[in-house]
Amino acid sequence: MRILKLFLAGGVLIVIAHSCLADATIEGHVALPKTRTTTVVVQRYEVISKGGIVSIIPPVAVVYLDGTFPRPASPVTKEIVQKNLTFIPALLPIQVGTTVAFPNEDTTYHNIFSYSAPKRFDLGRYGPQDRPIPTEVFDVPGLVTLRCDIHEHMRAVILILQTPYFVTSDTDGHFKLDGLPAGHYTLKAWINSSTTLERAVDLQNGSVLHLDLP
Amino acid sequence: MLVVILVTSTGLYFALREAAANFEDELQRDFRSKLDSEHRVEEIQYAALTEHCRSLARRPRIHAALEDGALDLLYPSASDELRDLTEPDDDPSMPGLHANYYRFLDIHGAVISPPNPDEVGRLNASDEGQLALKTLPDQQQTGYLYRGGVNGKETVDELIAVPIVSTETGEVISALVLGFTFPEPDDATTGIQSGIWLHGRIHLPTLGEAAEAGLSAEVTTAIASTGGPGGRFTTQIGGVPHIVFFNLVNSSSLFPPAYQVCIYPVADFLDRQRRMRWQIIGAGLLASKIISDHLSQPVEQLAKDSVKNRVQREQAEARLESTHLELQRSARFSADTSHQLKTPVTVLRAGLEELRAHPNLTHETREEISALIHQTFRITSIVEDLLLLSRLEAGRLQLEDQSVNITRLIASLQDDLSTQPEGLGVQADIGGAVIHVRGEERYISLILQNLLENACKYNRQGGTIRVGCHEHEGWVLLTIGNTGPPISPDAQERIFERFHRGAANEDIPGHGLGLNLARELARLHGGDLRLVGSRADWTEFEVRFRIASEAKIAVHHDV
Repeated sequence: MRILKLFLAGGVLIVIAHSCLADATIEGHVALPKTRTTTVVVQRYEVISKGGIVSIIPPVAVVYLDGTFPRPASPVTKEIVQKNLTFIPALLPIQVGTTVAFPNEDTTYHNIFSYSAPKRFDLGRYGPQDRPIPTEVFDVPGLVTLRCDIHEHMRAVILILQTPYFVTSDTDGHFKLDGLPAGHYTLKAWINSSTTLERAVDLQNGSVLHLDLP
Repeated sequence: MLVVILVTSTGLYFALREAAANFEDELQRDFRSKLDSEHRVEEIQYAALTEHCRSLARRPRIHAALEDGALDLLYPSASDELRDLTEPDDDPSMPGLHANYYRFLDIHGAVISPPNPDEVGRLNASDEGQLALKTLPDQQQTGYLYRGGVNGKETVDELIAVPIVSTETGEVISALVLGFTFPEPDDATTGIQSGIWLHGRIHLPTLGEAAEAGLSAEVTTAIASTGGPGGRFTTQIGGVPHIVFFNLVNSSSLFPPAYQVCIYPVADFLDRQRRMRWQIIGAGLLASKIISDHLSQPVEQLAKDSVKNRVQREQAEARLESTHLELQRSARFSADTSHQLKTPVTVLRAGLEELRAHPNLTHETREEISALIHQTFRITSIVEDLLLLSRLEAGRLQLEDQSVNITRLIASLQDDLSTQPEGLGVQADIGGAVIHVRGEERYISLILQNLLENACKYNRQGGTIRVGCHEHEGWVLLTIGNTGPPISPDAQERIFERFHRGAANEDIPGHGLGLNLARELARLHGGDLRLVGSRADWTEFEVRFRIASEAKIAVHHDV
């Protein structure tokens, strides 16, 4: 009997949790800074550090639902690959606690390091054949700039967020965030290290919100 | 008679005035050329430092420290690159690239404090503050700093700020400021002193405090009134008249304006002028007498001639004086030249080595760069030989009179040569006895080295080199012979000339200074170097040294 009660209570909890997590969606457009665009065959993203501001060229936004959410139950691993002497992706948003692996898919050595405050590390020189593939866990929210000590032009940024709800916009600024929980939140759009746009949102189960920033 | 005297005096007056003006101009030229030469040293420093900053700007870790908010890691990331700036030079007498300290400036021009000041040169807080600039410079800046050094003794430092420009965005992301010891005022024997005027004050401790303060005030007034790049005036220092020159040394710098001030005592000059006046007057009177006695001569002509003679003599004296100064200067600059010549080569080599380390090079390119690097070593060795020769000629090479174990020297050189891939057979006929000669070991070693290298170069394939050493009537005679084609009789006369090389051997390395240098050094040791003979398949040189009396005399050895 007692077990049955527990079971029932557990079932109710799951239902509640499900309705909380559920299915709100926000889609819209972020106004991105204008840059001189050149038509290229293969689009590459570049991380630029100028005047103390770190930004991505061509600009994209990381749109996320701000707030403190529980960390995922099972560990999450993401990847930043080194290929053709670039980091792919050049911009990686992650939730705190995420492990990032850095596989080398070039034929040459790389030496990835970060001097950024949220996570300082130095992976040392390693080639494509070296195992294990180096990984780092990012436990503190903030912005980490990755660099390669051997190839001065190589850079990438990792944006470490408290939330599991984030998405990278396309280069036109369009984004779609789904699977969001209902409730009052702030929606934020990170554009570069000095600019983050935000808007309060009220999310209801199963609703689709259309929203442009700013 | 009266007319003659009048004419003579007029000529005399103009002659004196001209001589005085010439002399002052001469001094000013001297001052300017001194400034120019200091400026040249500065340019070399700029070039080398710019290269350092360029290579810093290429380093991802420097970018990371400056751009990713990790200023605490800036100095550790730069210390490798800048190590050679803070390590003492080989020769402390040379004003080189040895910096007393260095600091980085942040994006606002403020000094970034080093985590470990001992590694980058300790400075007190107020001195460190003086290194800051209103804004980051886009080109090199020169400034000066009065620093309370050891024992409270104030020293003057020359500051050089070099921008660090991002290789990617072209932005100035930081600047490196280095402090160099500014050369101490000229020695007291010439009576000529120079110092830097900064913040209304001159640093010239030899003058004494009161005179220093007085001169400071006067120079400050003079600078304020001219406001320009420089000027000169005459003043009393300690009751003695001096000519004072001042010249702005850091025009359009972000650092506070600084003037180099040079003071010359006028005493000698006045003395000579007085002497000259009496001589001219005496001669004038005598001339007047002669003229009035023999009215047949054209009066003015003679008076002019008499004055002209004096002026010519004065001019000759002034030239002699300036030659003397020139000599002193050239002695000082032969030391500077070493750096002026060697630094660019070092920079070149460092650049080439960095280029060679680049991962994407083809094998051929890498080989080519290696060949270029090899050439830079050759240039350095030529420069060193030339400098040694120039010091020999200027009589500036001081030998230590030691007792040098020449037997051991030969053995060690023989060891060095035996490691060479050609496997040259060097036979030494020196027996078991130890022979000592008088002189300085490193120069004697250089003589032997040059002769042995020469013998190796001109030796035929599979030939022999033989070194012999014996004592003969108070001398140590050392012979070095090699197999190979003989030197032609014409060439035999010229082999000791500078830059002479065996014409038939274009592919033999070297630059034609070795034998000349060896002979000059041998002569400086009171000995000599000569060609004993060059006949079919055997060429032999003999170098003579003074025997060291306290050493055991060796038994005779045949060559």
